[in-house]
Amino acid sequence: MARSLELDLSGQRSFSTLISLAARLLWRDWRGGELKLLSLALVMAVTSVTGIALFTDRLEKALVLESANMLAADRMLRSGRPLPKEILIEAKTRGFQTAETLSFTSMAFSDSSNMLVSAKAVSDAYPLRGEVIIADAPFVRGTPIASGPRPGEAWLESRAFPALELKIGDKIYIGESTLRVSHIIITEPDRSSGGMVDNAGPRVMLHMDDVAATNVVQLGSRVTYRFLFANTEPEILDDFSLWIDEEFNSEYRLRDVRDESAEVSEALSRAESFLMLGSLFAVLLAGIAIALTAKRYSERHYDYVAILKTLGCTSNQIAAIYLMIQVVLVLVSIGLGSILGWLTHAGILELLQTVLAVDLPPAGVRPYIVGSLTAIVCLLSFALPPLLALRETPPLRVLRKDISPEKLSDRMPYIFGLGGSVLLVSWYSNDLLITFILLAAVTAIAVMLSGFSYALLKSTSSVGMKAGNSWKLAMSAARRRRKQNVLQIMVFAITIMSLLILSLLRTDLISDWQAQLPEDTPNHFMMNISQSQIEGIEEFFDENGIRGNAFYPLISARVERVNGKDPEPQGEMGDGGERTTLAGGAETREIEEGSAKLGREAEVEGEEVRGRLSRRQVTWAAEVPSDNRIVEGEWWDESASPGYVSIEEEYAGWLGLEIGDSLEFEVLGQQVSAEVSSFRSVQWDNMQPNFYIIFSPGTIDDLGATFLSTALMEREQKVLLNDLVRQFPTMVVIEIDGLIEQVQTIIAQVTSAIELIFFLVLISGALVLLSCVNATLDERFYENAILRTLGAGRRLILSSLVIEFATIGVLAGFIATVGAEASLFYLQERVFNQSFDLHYWVWIAGPLAGMLVIGALGLNSTKEVVRVSPLILLRRIS
Amino acid sequence: MPQAMIRVEKLCKSVPTTEGVLEILRDIDLEIDAADTVAIIGASGSGKSTLLGLMAGLDAASSGDVLLSGHSLASMDEEARAILRGQLVGFVFQSFQLLPSLTALENVMLPIELKGENSAREKALQLLNRVGLSERAHHYPNQLSGGEQQRVAIGRAFATEAKILFADEPTGNLDTATGARIVELLFDLNKEFATTLVLVTHEDRLAKRCGRIVRLVAGVVSSDEKTSHEVDKKSVR
Repeated sequence: MARSLELDLSGQRSFSTLISLAARLLWRDWRGGELKLLSLALVMAVTSVTGIALFTDRLEKALVLESANMLAADRMLRSGRPLPKEILIEAKTRGFQTAETLSFTSMAFSDSSNMLVSAKAVSDAYPLRGEVIIADAPFVRGTPIASGPRPGEAWLESRAFPALELKIGDKIYIGESTLRVSHIIITEPDRSSGGMVDNAGPRVMLHMDDVAATNVVQLGSRVTYRFLFANTEPEILDDFSLWIDEEFNSEYRLRDVRDESAEVSEALSRAESFLMLGSLFAVLLAGIAIALTAKRYSERHYDYVAILKTLGCTSNQIAAIYLMIQVVLVLVSIGLGSILGWLTHAGILELLQTVLAVDLPPAGVRPYIVGSLTAIVCLLSFALPPLLALRETPPLRVLRKDISPEKLSDRMPYIFGLGGSVLLVSWYSNDLLITFILLAAVTAIAVMLSGFSYALLKSTSSVGMKAGNSWKLAMSAARRRRKQNVLQIMVFAITIMSLLILSLLRTDLISDWQAQLPEDTPNHFMMNISQSQIEGIEEFFDENGIRGNAFYPLISARVERVNGKDPEPQGEMGDGGERTTLAGGAETREIEEGSAKLGREAEVEGEEVRGRLSRRQVTWAAEVPSDNRIVEGEWWDESASPGYVSIEEEYAGWLGLEIGDSLEFEVLGQQVSAEVSSFRSVQWDNMQPNFYIIFSPGTIDDLGATFLSTALMEREQKVLLNDLVRQFPTMVVIEIDGLIEQVQTIIAQVTSAIELIFFLVLISGALVLLSCVNATLDERFYENAILRTLGAGRRLILSSLVIEFATIGVLAGFIATVGAEASLFYLQERVFNQSFDLHYWVWIAGPLAGMLVIGALGLNSTKEVVRVSPLILLRRIS
Repeated sequence: MPQAMIRVEKLCKSVPTTEGVLEILRDIDLEIDAADTVAIIGASGSGKSTLLGLMAGLDAASSGDVLLSGHSLASMDEEARAILRGQLVGFVFQSFQLLPSLTALENVMLPIELKGENSAREKALQLLNRVGLSERAHHYPNQLSGGEQQRVAIGRAFATEAKILFADEPTGNLDTATGARIVELLFDLNKEFATTLVLVTHEDRLAKRCGRIVRLVAGVVSSDEKTSHEVDKKSVR
């Protein structure tokens, strides 16, 4: 037999040939519009993620700054006893900025008058964050300054001036020292983070070096020592926190703003969860859009690849060509998406300029990295499988069109897509609970859809197209495309569900916040009021146009025995103990500090600790306080006899109480018994007086309670505090107007951020809906072109298309509503600490919106079928 | 004895169906010499396209072998078959199979580029000129008539000077007059390039242009005859 032909069967093709082929393919696909939707989906993913990340990064930094202002530092250490200096030394070696403050109450004297003041001595570096606003005349706006008084100087709050009959340059006397009044304090950054020691009277600020000379602070004095720390790196702050824990056996705890303010902490963590959830949905939706467009792109390339293979291209070369195309796509999307993301966030900032009270610090590189990684993960998990399936296209397809690489493309995308989603979701949320909830919701939808498709499968099988009327035609079309339709409904449902979840969460969060701090939230607490003073105070308020509120009796009580035995607290009260805040907040804080301080002694003197921890400021009331909810047992009715007590649920859990338990209290030295009749939930962040323990009327009424009340005072009314305190000298006024303003600012910012994220997710959602409608266009075009050829009228075809899409929309909307409500139940109860209520209107609005939007989108995309001649359509498709 | 350009040995193809295994081709033996022209004819479902696909290495046989220029396809995987196709084989299809996003010129250039040869553009332009389409070089397939598209496809088939040309119903989508012109062009070029031509058709007229006609009935070769063309060719030699 003769030699065979000399052939180069190595298959070696120069890399440059492949690159040039890939480049041509890319260019021609782009020119032909094949790649536009895929690129658009990718660019959208990068844009929304980068835009959101940029905005949240900057907003978060601003919020951190803003909230750091509430501490005048990033972290703070507080104690009633002097703090060990080695902590300061260690902080300095770690590159921290540090400062010290010391708060105490004292009498301040002028040459003609005197009053109780909250004194605060500060070191040179104070404040580390934020600014003290000072002025040279009382009750004006003032100018910011980033330091405290120099040695020998004192700064006083406005209302101390009339009370002490002072003017700038006068002398005041604190203890044994004399200070010169040099400025007026309008606000100080950490004013709201103090306890009773900081809120017992107007502020007098002095330099730390002057404290010794006053001779006021002695062993046993009520003082609060604070160390302030600042560092821009959160990791370094966390490391330092660990070091303090280890070095001092948890005796001291580094605190941040979240420890200090339940209100801000709650708002911040909810906002963070929402922003995270929002960007999560944005990227998931973009991922779905990418998967859909990549699938369509790859299906349209089967013939292409078959021809290339026929012409001698190997599978590996095909894979290389499409990988190169993907690399270019990723690079272009990252570049374009980053620019668009920056522009989006800049545009939104421009829009929000009036709302954002603070200048946003510049963003770091992280948002761009997040955006880029998202593009890569999205492409790898959503687009790679269908594109890789191309590699398996059999060349025989050039002879037989019905052969396609289905075996591979069927399962791979789901596995990859699920893997990618899990990766992205857990990466973004850094939260297994949210990952679980979202995946559970998606799985639930998938299961419901299997049921639905099964039902469709079982429904009477139809023969032919039923082209007699549009309704039957639509239904038979829906049945024939069952597989695609089920997939399409799933995608629509997930999209609508995401939008519903975000939109409902957004509405609920914002209305919650508005309800939490309405315009007329009282901003001053008055304590230590005797029964005989109540009438006088009410008259004072009336005369001066101050909006006062009800008076709550307040008395200190301790649980001594539960069912005749010593109380046995279960575990830690945690931060819950802090949350008594305003109702006798100082008292509670000091008790908590005691527990921290006594951490090591606790093992030995556990009983003493328990005793101290079970002491609370208690009250009595005939009716359930407005923001409280009975969770177990029953509230007493009006005629009820004395001897009942209602306990806050967490506190009850801590003491291991049950309804009907008999408690013995020590109240101002006297023994009182009461039966537990109910457990209550308390809304701690409403800035109203809240209580762990409420007695039924008549139980402790005669034991000598003092009263507590709240009032709303405008800024210009604050000078009246002097008259009020002078008329009722035993009364203690706690001013929380600064805190409320700060919280309101933060909430306003957070609300704008939420609106923005919602808007971006809306765009992503629209993109998915569009790509999903497009995904089945070819087949619909083909079928309807044939129907047209056979003489079907324009009206029949259009109305059957509308009916088919609208039916799909209704089903998707319904499934989305179920999924959204279920997800919201878990999200609100577990993540956002909100109570969940069914959103009845959504059960109608969801399916209706699905029907209208998808019907309109479907019609818009397919109406061409009746405009263009069937011949052109058929030719275009073949 | 000269080596056969295509040798088919005991070739079988069967596919599983819901009603059991369906045998499409059974024990086909064929030998086609270089520069021969062979028509494979038969009724619909007789297995002629399947045979073409197997001979061209587009699909793998259930048993038996195909040797193209002495290279056994049975021992090759799809990767190796692709390389062999690129080196040895050209195609003309009933439905033209041009890449819609490439112009006529680019479609002809593609196999030359894939083969890694230089001067693809010049060669392609020459071929387009040869098939009478030099003025439509920059048109896309959907801007060309069926006959024009098939001319481009023929140009592409000869672009790499393939030794073997497989044609599947090359006139099946064309009217009679256009079909006739295409057939002329195909045979002219075939002669010019001395290509081995295997074409599948159900048109007797087209089949008779070939030197040999292999008739398939139900997956088996029922006849294998030389035509007058082959006799003419031999007598000329």
